[in-house]
Amino acid sequence: MNDFVIADPEKCIGCRTCEVACVLAHQEAPDLAALTKENFNARLSVVKTARVTAPVQCRQCEDAPCAKACVRGALVQGEVSVQIHEESCIGCKACMMACPYGAIEIRGNKKAGNLHVIKCDLCSSKDAGPACIKVCPTNALKQVKSEEFSRKINNKRRHAAGFVQG
Amino acid sequence: MGNKVKTICPYCASGCEILLTVEHGEIISAEPGQGRNNQGELCLKGYYGWDFLKNNKRLTARVTKPMIRRSRDAELEEVSWDEAISFAAGRLQEIKKEYGSDAIMCTGAARGPGNEANYVMQKFARAAVGTNNVDHCARVCHGSSVSGLELALGNGAMSNSIPEIEDTKCVFIFGYNPAVTHPIVARRILKAKDKGAKIITADPRFSEQAKISDLWLPLKNGTNMALVNALAYVLLTENLYKKDYVEKYTEGFAEYKKIVMDYSPETVEKLVGVPAKDIYAAARMYAAAESATILWGMGVTQFGQAVDVVEGLASLALLTGNLGRPNVGVGPVRGQNNVQGSCDMGALPNVFPGYQSVEDETLRKKFEKAWGVKLPKKRGICLTEVPHMAREGKIKAYYIFGEDPVQSDPDANGIREALAAMDLVIVQDIFMNKTALHADVIFPATSWGEHEGVYSAADRGFQKFNKAVEPKGDVKPDWEIIALMSTAMGYPMKYKNTEEIWDELRALCPLYAGASYKKLDELGCVQWPCVDEEDQGTPYLYEGNKFTRPSGKGLLFAAPYRQPKEMPDDDYPLVLSTVREVGHYSVRTMTGNCNALRILSDEPGYIQMNSADLAAAGIKDQELLWVASRRGKVIARALETDRANKGTVYMTYHWWIGACNDLTIEHLDPISKTPELKYCSVKVESIEDQEWAEHYVVTEYSALKKKMGC
Repeated sequence: MNDFVIADPEKCIGCRTCEVACVLAHQEAPDLAALTKENFNARLSVVKTARVTAPVQCRQCEDAPCAKACVRGALVQGEVSVQIHEESCIGCKACMMACPYGAIEIRGNKKAGNLHVIKCDLCSSKDAGPACIKVCPTNALKQVKSEEFSRKINNKRRHAAGFVQG
Repeated sequence: MGNKVKTICPYCASGCEILLTVEHGEIISAEPGQGRNNQGELCLKGYYGWDFLKNNKRLTARVTKPMIRRSRDAELEEVSWDEAISFAAGRLQEIKKEYGSDAIMCTGAARGPGNEANYVMQKFARAAVGTNNVDHCARVCHGSSVSGLELALGNGAMSNSIPEIEDTKCVFIFGYNPAVTHPIVARRILKAKDKGAKIITADPRFSEQAKISDLWLPLKNGTNMALVNALAYVLLTENLYKKDYVEKYTEGFAEYKKIVMDYSPETVEKLVGVPAKDIYAAARMYAAAESATILWGMGVTQFGQAVDVVEGLASLALLTGNLGRPNVGVGPVRGQNNVQGSCDMGALPNVFPGYQSVEDETLRKKFEKAWGVKLPKKRGICLTEVPHMAREGKIKAYYIFGEDPVQSDPDANGIREALAAMDLVIVQDIFMNKTALHADVIFPATSWGEHEGVYSAADRGFQKFNKAVEPKGDVKPDWEIIALMSTAMGYPMKYKNTEEIWDELRALCPLYAGASYKKLDELGCVQWPCVDEEDQGTPYLYEGNKFTRPSGKGLLFAAPYRQPKEMPDDDYPLVLSTVREVGHYSVRTMTGNCNALRILSDEPGYIQMNSADLAAAGIKDQELLWVASRRGKVIARALETDRANKGTVYMTYHWWIGACNDLTIEHLDPISKTPELKYCSVKVESIEDQEWAEHYVVTEYSALKKKMGC
């Protein structure tokens, strides 16, 4: 099963520290001065509705609609996430249409040489793990790992078993 | 790997410890330190708010040379330090001779300069100029908290510490939005909730705190006093207060009771807009907790009736015995990194450093002896009294140190008129700003990151901040500039370094006597009072329920409700309340020059409006619109949000184009002289030609940047 990053909307205070950390983590070398409105491509977006605040990002679906929709194999299932092969992208936007979370976006264009697929990649090229999790001042973000998932499910089952026995 | 410099964040007063990585003399990144308050966390301003030091001129340019304007209609010109000091001191001397010392006003600076520079500034005003006319921007923010808490409890500061918040059993958040102003305090509230605390939020808007609250009281704007009185009514009538405590440690009960008995929840529910049952529930929840903390912000203090409300909140804590022990108390959480410090240093018109009254003969004699000069005994004027006194010709010179009143204070046009009416305006700052456009003298100072000293966090915590990089340009530390001015004015001041200033201060202030640099280095943070060498500081005040008032008792105080000054009417049907946004800070000279923060949000700034109000005005989300009050008119971008209550619009004072203080009103609390920035009436108008409007914003912004030297 894939890993994914998810936020606890109770803990998110909407400060967007995660968005900046995400953008810097995807630069070749972190450089605040190189950021522009055009290249500020955060792979998670803090959303505020009338009652909810939370960053939204890719769920790394097992049967990912984005990957299925991609006709060029630019999105493929990796070991623990849906991986991006940006060089294969033709900018057809089918992935954007297919994603039920609005968690993937194509930005820029091929002609200008800045065509990008903007989607959470779990900061897979970084040893330290997802940058957003590290900077969140309220620890609202976490990476759910498949092995932890099984452990948590097991714990819940044990708890539930206790209920049954009274 | 570069060198790591430990320092304190220059933004809000949470007092977060930051480690700056410095390579080849430039900061390249910031990471959190393990400070007492931040424990390895930072918000986005802490992480990404340091690149203004590179002078990238994204909003405004650093001032790097002293400048003077030889006559009021001349252009500013760059001059040597000698010439600038001699010009400014000479002009100030002339004004003093012609109009007297009290025609001169000085400010402290609640941001980067630090405590030592503020000490030197107030000494300059008192000893060199000969006036107590020294004040600073605490007046426009928590001035009401300082006055109200001094009256009720005897000390104007937070009673308890920021780390204690997470161990309280009830957090009552009143007119305060820490998710935006102090994310690191918001984090403590979340931890408190995790540990089982009840959360109550009183706020007209649905804030991030309302989101996690057990009870949200969406009161109507400007009805704080009525709500606080009604809460007291419930505590008294349902016998939820601690009779023993009230009897032993408080006074004024009879008079207090008489006033609050007119404010039953049923009586006020229509005025306040909160169902009576929720007011009952809030009072019961607060009283039931074994420990409870009240936190408030500008939603309490920036009203014409603010000091009364602060006293009312302190009285709720007194009634329930929530003072004088850990994890309880009253918390006016200060906004700017060193606004507590500027108060501590006596950059206030009524007190010397250490909250020692200028009107007290013995204390004044002590300072006269130490400073070797006769000192004025009449208290000075408040910052917010300057505009009208200048327009009346009573204030002739203004030495503005690290402030930008044209951007931060109410009724910007009134401030501009006041600056134009004066004979001399001196601005000492790191950046060009709107106020500097009216200056006759500009002194370029070193910034946070380029000098060292001590800041006071919101919870009375002294912490040392350090120099990370060498300043560029012909700039000097603030205290050095002021000492040069003082010397040129005939009162010589000379200090080797900040520690020498700090030691002079400690010798004069019993509250800080034991907080040496050495101790700050050892402990990281020392909360005053810290009275001697052994003392490790004071996490919470009023131990043993001894209040620092003459009687030693806390004062129970209530006042009848007064409505705001400018109520909405047919011409101006909406209420304007000024608020903050998380990625920007104060007048935005610092964060507006930080690249990531600028990208997250930029001019002309948003006006938050309820969908019904927007629909009624025929305006769509993200469209540009006009906002007008009786005092001005600005352009802003609509942000549709049903977190904003119907009938009230919210703007942040960071924006230079969508400048909400062009609209706000110069109406003051009668005691603290804090302006009613949370309430005036406005109207909004749609703009048909949005393309024109977008172009207008771009043009205005470019013109403004050009004026700022970009």
